[in-house]
This record gives sequence, structure tokens and C-alpha cells, in this order.
Amino acid sequence: MTVEYLLFCLVAVPFFGSLFLPVLGKINERLRNIAALALMLCSLGMSCALLQVIASDQNVVFTMGGVTLFYADKLAIFMALVSQSLGSIIILYSFGYIKNYEHRNEYYFMVVLFLAAMMGLIFSSNLLWIYFFWEITAIVCWRLIGFFREKEYVLRADKAFFITVFGALMMLCGFLMIYSRTGTFDMQEIKAWCAINGSIPDLAVMFILFGILSKSATLPLHTWLADAGVAPSPVTALLHAAVLVKIGVYVFARLFVATFTINEIWHEVVPWIAAASAIVSACAALVENDIKRIVAYSTVSQLAFILLGLATGNNTGIVGGLLYILMHGIAKAGLFLCAGVVEHETHNKDIRKMGGLIKTMPITAVSFALCAFSVMGIPPFGGFFSKYMVITGTIDSGQIAVGLTFVAGAFLTLAYLLRAFARVFLGVSRAADDGHGLPREGSPVMVFSVALLAALSLLSGVLIQPSFQFAQSAVQQMLSR
Amino acid sequence: MITLFIAVPLVVVLILNLLPRKLANALSFWCGMALTVISGVYVLTTSQSSWLFGFDPVKRILNWEIVPSDLSAVMFVSIALVVFSAFWVGQYLFSDKNRQFIFNNLLLLCMVGMNGVVFSRDLFTLYVFLEIVAASSFILIALEKTKAGIEGAFKYVLLSAIATVLILSSIALLFMTCGSLDYHTVRACLTSGQLDAGASRFALFAVCLFVAGLFIKGGIVPFHGWLPDAYSSAPTAASVLLGGIVTKAAGVFTLVQLAQNVFGFDKPSPVLLGFGMLSIAVGAFAALGQKDFKRMLAYSSISQIGYIIIGLGSANVFGVVGAIFHIFNHSVFKTLLFVNAAAVEKQSGTVDMDRLGGLSNKMPVTGFTSVLAFLSTAGVPPLSGFWSKLLIILGVWQSGSPTVAIIAILLSLMTLAYFLSMQRRVFFGKLAAGLEEIREADFRALVPAVVLAVITLVIGLIFPWLLGTFLVPLESLL
Repeated sequence: MTVEYLLFCLVAVPFFGSLFLPVLGKINERLRNIAALALMLCSLGMSCALLQVIASDQNVVFTMGGVTLFYADKLAIFMALVSQSLGSIIILYSFGYIKNYEHRNEYYFMVVLFLAAMMGLIFSSNLLWIYFFWEITAIVCWRLIGFFREKEYVLRADKAFFITVFGALMMLCGFLMIYSRTGTFDMQEIKAWCAINGSIPDLAVMFILFGILSKSATLPLHTWLADAGVAPSPVTALLHAAVLVKIGVYVFARLFVATFTINEIWHEVVPWIAAASAIVSACAALVENDIKRIVAYSTVSQLAFILLGLATGNNTGIVGGLLYILMHGIAKAGLFLCAGVVEHETHNKDIRKMGGLIKTMPITAVSFALCAFSVMGIPPFGGFFSKYMVITGTIDSGQIAVGLTFVAGAFLTLAYLLRAFARVFLGVSRAADDGHGLPREGSPVMVFSVALLAALSLLSGVLIQPSFQFAQSAVQQMLSR
Repeated sequence: MITLFIAVPLVVVLILNLLPRKLANALSFWCGMALTVISGVYVLTTSQSSWLFGFDPVKRILNWEIVPSDLSAVMFVSIALVVFSAFWVGQYLFSDKNRQFIFNNLLLLCMVGMNGVVFSRDLFTLYVFLEIVAASSFILIALEKTKAGIEGAFKYVLLSAIATVLILSSIALLFMTCGSLDYHTVRACLTSGQLDAGASRFALFAVCLFVAGLFIKGGIVPFHGWLPDAYSSAPTAASVLLGGIVTKAAGVFTLVQLAQNVFGFDKPSPVLLGFGMLSIAVGAFAALGQKDFKRMLAYSSISQIGYIIIGLGSANVFGVVGAIFHIFNHSVFKTLLFVNAAAVEKQSGTVDMDRLGGLSNKMPVTGFTSVLAFLSTAGVPPLSGFWSKLLIILGVWQSGSPTVAIIAILLSLMTLAYFLSMQRRVFFGKLAAGLEEIREADFRALVPAVVLAVITLVIGLIFPWLLGTFLVPLESLL
């Protein structure tokens, strides 16, 4: 099998495989669960195999019947590995979490389809394919947010779908504008076009930014994420916070850093948008009392850091942004899963009614703390290095004011995460006895996933070297024209 | 070819009515199945060259010829597909055997009429077949003899009569100007520039009359008054046919055909763009306020026809190919939605969306196929509706009106809005009170639903490979 087909199977196996999961679920639940995990691991394995090729500066293109479908370079493979690893952990965690709810077949189908569409998007060689897979992820999110079928949840699902599709349609307008200018949707050809003709129209950049901001839940299109985070199971919330929202920043990196030449002004405007988003959502997280809403707003705030890093346009900042995609993915996944364990066991989401949980759920509490440290940016956790590089990159590009704003944002992160931790895990229990008895530690699979993520956020910081070097070489490849 | 599409169904209807009623009842459904499947497969498997087929022993009165055109092929497939679904739904909905028989007969007649419209290469022949379609539709709408049904049919008769007058006068005027009604001759006469100023103004007036007549037939805003009533008051099996294909075949396809082959619209037309945008907007906003499932689908049809019209108005390859492809897609997804509406109506006894809810728990197939259908309508990938809308938008963009294209894209958000609200109220969410006993529709409603859902999904996934082989030859049209 040649490398090209490896690239194709990487997307196609989970994509078409997901269709069979509901059928398998009708036969045997356990079989379906294992199949779902196997599909993800299979895809992950293929990415690892592909990594060998890509690492030697060789890009892979897959063409079928005259249509160029997929294109893989270092940026893409980096993103793919991050999302596939997180996706596998999410599926593992679902085994324990989802087994008591209805519509399990739909759940596994949707999650695997989502991850497959994400792979498709990451490896798209063409603007239309990006849009194509982008919308598939939106459909899946819509079903997952409304998963419990309560009227309120379905309304929130509709809201999220509506906002992201609005963004996507704006983005499509931008793509069409680029098409009408360059005569092609193919990103390599557009890159060549930019090399000759200079930057693409500002209006198109603005339209595409709408799409990116809506998907990455950045001010002013961030409102859906907090709602999506509250409504359904933490597993789906996690899917949104740790994986889905990265689509937007990935597309930013792919289009505006790696492919298009854009006007200088955007390197100043986008950081300010990010700064506003970081501060506003951090303040929101500071006053929220719902544990999942806090974590969701924290996501909005941290995404601004990633966006800032990518938008600085210099090497340090972009490497920091890319690394933070990885670090934030791991740490935020850990936070969400901890919140999920807490909610699952206490049947409560309000942090004012919790407290003292560290005694009964020690592993969850410690994992929460470790992941929170990484998000806060405390050395030697992974979050520290990436945040440091993002802010250094900003200062390097001469935007001192933006840099200072983000330092303030980092302090706010510290404040709201410590507040949440103290309220939930420390002190004495404030819960009214609701007949459920004392909360206990979650099921072994769930606690294992949580602990694994906490360990990973520590390890990724201590052993920063390999991921740093890979991100570094990816950025060099992106910036070379 | 011609026998299969027109003579055979006609003869079948005659024979069925001569047979003993019991036998004919049983036979009518299977005859319809056989005819639709055979004609669909025939079109798809026949190579282009054998389409060159002249038929003119009666040329003076009826003139038709088969031209090698994918345009007709797409249309024949759509007609066969929708009539196929309508047969199944009729079988499912009507419990009265006699009514079922009448319905099947009318369906076959309507199919003859629509096939004839596609075949025609002469304005008068076209007119005759248009009337066959209209006459059978009137009866289909009023089939159940309810007050609403008769009212809907009456409105349709009335407006259709106006359309008839417009079209007939236009034909008369064109005959006076050009001396013939054959498409080639009329085109040559209209576009050669040999007409003097008076005659050319006269011809323009005739063209306007014809287009207005077709606008009424196609239900384009502001001529759409009859359409929501007709669709929502007709028996749902008839709505499948009406919403799926009749207005498209009689109004929109004919418009595309004439605009391209006869009137020679080769420049972007602000008039068509304007009417198209108006239809898109009015249809979408009206659909948003509906409580009746079928009425919402009717307004959605108006809105989608608007997209077809702007594609045509752009007068370039992308736009026209997109318009034709959207006719096909629309017949797939709108038929699917009406089939779902039929299943909901039959199982729950109502189409009032406020009294429904959470049906996909109990009716998983209907619920899931309706999701595919509405996403396709809203132009969301990976479904086929996305590609046709994309082609249309590209066409409009390249014809020099990017603003119109952007508005059209953003208006598809409205499509999404009303269908999301429909999904929330009918299928998604918790089961509504009083519907605990509801069950999934039987196979007669599920067969067409699954067939149509698979078509819209598969075409959506493989479209880039279809574009080069099947649709781009449509370019020869221009």
C-alpha cells in the first residue's frame, strides 16, 4: 500500500466505518464500543505511519479520479495526531459514561463520524473540501448537543448549529470571492497565485474570519459554546471544547499562515479581537457558578491565546500557538472529564453546593488540579511553555499593549480556576443530602481517563522537546514560500 | 423511446379501465412501478447517441423529437423517481381501494403529461401537455372531496386558467410574428434580428406573456398564491407529486428549456434574478411562520424554486447546470419530505407541528431521512443539495452580481432556520403527550423514503466525480 492510500484510509476508514456502528450496536453493545475505539485507533495508527514519511519533509497528496482530495504536511499531521489521541480517550471514557443513557447507537455513530470529518477537514487540499467537512462537524455537533432531547437542550443545539452555519456561510462567501479572483479552490494553486499577485482581498479575509471565529467560539460569536458546554453530557462538551473549537484555529493556521498572503493590517486586528475575547470570557468565567460553564468560558478565553499566537505572524508566536493547541487540548479535556465525574457522582453542577470532594474523590481532585495548572500556565506544565511563547511572540512583533492584556488574561485564568477548585474540592461539603448518599469516585474507566490526561499534561511539559521540535519544523515548512 | 414514455402509460390507463375492477385495482400499482422503474433505468443506461430519434409523421399537429440532451435525461429521471414515490405513498395512504385506483390512473396520466412537456419541440405541443398535467393535478388535489381540497383545487384551476390564457395568447402572437411554432424556427426568428422594430416589440410582449404564464405555473412570487393551498389541502400522496415535480416540470423546467432553446436568453437577466430573489426571500420568511407541516414544505418549495430561477437568470454554464441539477435535487429532497409528512400524518393523525414532537424516538427511519432531506434543502454538505446551490451561486457570482450571490447564500440560513424549527417541533426533542402509542410507518412509506435518502446522500458524496461525466456535457446547451 502506498503512502497516498494510507492518507485516504486515514479519513475513509472512520468515515465509512461509523455508518456500521449503529448496525453493530443492534447486535451487541460491547462489540460496537470496541469497534468505535478500534476505528479511531486504526486511524491513529495510520497517522503515526504517515508521520514517518512527513517528518522527512515529504508532503503527500491523494488524488482520485482527477479530483485532488487530501494533502498532508507537518501542520496537518500534527493536528491530526492531537485530535485522534484525544478522540480515542474520549471514546474510552464514553464506555463508562454513556452506558446509562438512551440513543447509544446514535452517540457512537456521531462521535466517530465527527472525528472522521475532522480528519477530512485537516487533510483537505481544497477550500471546498474544508467547507464540506466543516459542515459535517456542525451537523454532528447539533445532534450531540441536543442529545438528551430536552426542549431546552434542543433549543441550544439549534442555536449552536445556527451560529456555526452562519459563520460557515460567510466563510463560503469568502471562498467564492477568492475563487472569483484566483480561479481555483486548490490551496497549493492559491499559494502560487499569492506568490505572484500579492495578498488576497481584505473582504474575503473578513468573511473567512467570521467562519473561524464562529467555530472557535471567539468574541463576538462565542455564545454558543457556553450553552453547548452546559447542555449535554460532559463527553460531548469535551468534544466541543477540546477538539471541535480547534477546527477554527487550525483553519486560521492553514489558510492565513500557511497558504494565503494577507494584508499586514490583519496581524494587528486579529490580536485585538483575541484580546477582547480573552478578557471578556475570563471575567465571565470568574462570576459563573456552573462548573461546566466555567470550564466552557475558560475554553473561549484560552482559544484567544491560540489565535493570538497564530496571528502574530512571527515564528515564536506561531510555534507557541500550535503547541498550545496540543497542551490546551490535553488539559481542557482533563478538566471537562473531571467536571463530568463530579457531575455524574454528585448530580449537581453548581459549585456553591459542592465542597470537600477531595476527601471522597482524591484522584479526580488531583487530576483536576494538575490540568488546571497546565491551563494556568504554571511551569513545568505544557501550558506554561506555549503561553510563554505566545506572549513573547506578541512582544516581538511590537504589540506591547496586546501582550500586556494577555498577561492580565493569564492572571484571570489563575483566579477563576483556583476559585473553582477551592469551591468544589476543598473546604466542607455544602451539599444538601438529596438521598444519593455521599459522592464516590467515578467508575474505573472514567478515573483512568482523567488520570491519564493529568499525567499527560505534566509529561508534555517536562518532555517538551519532541513536540516543540516538531512544531518548530512545521512552522518552518508553513512559512517557507 | 417515445412509446415507452408517452404511448405505453396512456394505453395502460385505457386497458386498466377496461379490465374487471378487482384485477385492475391490483394491477394498477404494479403497472406504475414497472413503468417508472423501466423508464428510469432506461434513461440512465441509454447512451447519448441513441437519443437521436426523430418522430414526425404527424408533424403538422404534434411535433416532438428527441435531442441528445442531458437536460431531458435529468428530467425524465426526476419524473420517474417522484411518480415512483407517489405510487408507494398512495398505496400507503388510501384505504379505499377505489380511490387508490383513481389515484393511480391520474398519476399515470400526469406522468404522460410531464414526459410530453419534456419531449415537446413545438410550442403548441408543449401547451397540450401542460394542460394534461394541469387537468390531472386539479382532480388529484380535490380527490378526497374535502372542503379544503376542493378550495385548493379551485384556486389552482382559476390561476391556471389565467396562465393558460397568457400562454395561448403568447403562442398566437408568436405564430403571427414567426409563422411557425417549432422551437428552431421561433428561435431563429427571434434572435436573427430580422424583425423590424414593431414586430420585435410585439415578439417581446409575447415572450413576456409566456414567461408570466410559466411563473404562475411554477408558483413564483408574486404569482404563488395558489401553491400553498393546493399543496397543503391535497391528499398527501398528491402533494408528493405536486411538490416534487409538477410545478417544476410544468413551470420551471419549461422556462429553462424555452429560455435556453427558444427565447435565447444568453445574457444575465436582472428580471429573472429579481423574481428569483423575491421568491427565495418571501418563501423562506413565510415558511418560518407556518404551523402546518405541509404548508411549510409548500413555502419552502417556493423558496427553492427561487434558487433555480436565479441560476437560470445568470445565463452561464455554472448557473444553468446548477439550476437543472437543483430541479433534480429538489424533486428528491422535497419528495422525501412530503413522504415523511405522509408518514407523520398517517401515523399520528395530524400535521399540526404544535401537537407533534419527539417522533424520531418512535419513527427512527422517518426521523433520520427527514434530517437528510432538510439538510439537503438547506444546502448543507455532504448532501446533494449543497452542490447544486454551490453551482448556482457560482454562476450568479460570475455573471457579475456578487452581491446577489452573497444574499442568496445568506438566505439559505433562513432555510435552515425554518427546518430546524420543524425538526425541533416534529422529530427531535421529547415525545409529545398523546403520542405514546405511535409506531413507525410501514414499508410502503419507508421504501420511497429510504430510496430517496440514499440518492441524496450518495450523489452528495460522489458529486465531484459526477460533474465531469454527466453534468458538464450540459454545457452544450449554451
